[in-house]
Amino acid sequence: MKMDHHESFQRAIDESLAGVISAEKAQSLREHLSTCFICNEYLSASNRVTAGLSGFSFEVNPALNARVVAALRLRARQVPLAQPHRLQLARWRIVEYKAGTAFAVALMLSFIGSAFVCEVATLLHFDRAQVRTDVLVFWLLPSLCAALCLLAPSRRKRGIA
Amino acid sequence: MESETQRIARGLRQGDVVVLEALVERYQYRLVRYLVSLLGRRDGVDDFVQETWLRVLERGGSYDGQSRFEPWLFRVARNLALDAMRKRPIFVLDSSEVDGVCSSPASVEPSPYTVAARTQDAERLAHSLQTLEPECREALVLRFQEELSLQEISAIVGAPVSTVASRIYRGLATLRPQFEGETA
Repeated sequence: MKMDHHESFQRAIDESLAGVISAEKAQSLREHLSTCFICNEYLSASNRVTAGLSGFSFEVNPALNARVVAALRLRARQVPLAQPHRLQLARWRIVEYKAGTAFAVALMLSFIGSAFVCEVATLLHFDRAQVRTDVLVFWLLPSLCAALCLLAPSRRKRGIA
Repeated sequence: MESETQRIARGLRQGDVVVLEALVERYQYRLVRYLVSLLGRRDGVDDFVQETWLRVLERGGSYDGQSRFEPWLFRVARNLALDAMRKRPIFVLDSSEVDGVCSSPASVEPSPYTVAARTQDAERLAHSLQTLEPECREALVLRFQEELSLQEISAIVGAPVSTVASRIYRGLATLRPQFEGETA
């Protein structure tokens, strides 16, 4: 029973060193340490371990910094950096290019299609002016509006990026 | 107002070599120290250091500047070291991360800790540190040499805080007996 009592405080010492002890537990530990020789020994040994861990000093090759900096400069010149904002910008440019091309092709095909319809209407002896107006009102203008609506979101997104 | 970590993050996003040079100057020693502890040897560490900084240059955009720089740097170094170990398994850092390869290297050369010990207590710890489970050694070093919080260590090693804490307790339990029964 007595041993369990010390073990719980020694566990608290470990928690304290790890930086995960609660304020309440820390207070209880402080009170216990003021009277307990065994746990003070445990704390002292633990402190010597942590102090010992700080007692190492590794030699660093004096030329290492220069070597690293030279390698960094070389790599920075050689490789275009894969940075998120640049990649995002590049992606949006591709999207815009594709959207613009699709819009131009759709517009061109609409005019070719409407010209073809007008020719067919003439062959079938329909009123050419009436057909041209119908094509304009019911085909070209709605297509143009729809295409502009589709293009609009990509412009907004570019603004955010 | 821009904090220091945000300034570092901006510099890394822009691939600013001047910012990187300042970081090399500032964190080089700690990076070497961490890699020695991680690998348990001194040779080859310089190559890992260089590779780490090159990776920082290439992937610096992923540092968000919201947390301290050194845990992020150590994570980059650790991933590189683990990748290298998987390709050429010399020893295991963590049995859960690399399967089926042998344990710590048996070297006739003095351990890096023996060479680096500057105090009597450090000299006494040198051998035990070398033979300590690598994941416990790493946790101890990150906590007591690098003075990182358990949350930061957890982010570096990719293990829950409770696991990191138990590695620290285990490491302390292994090293402590050398000083027990002595007055400080």
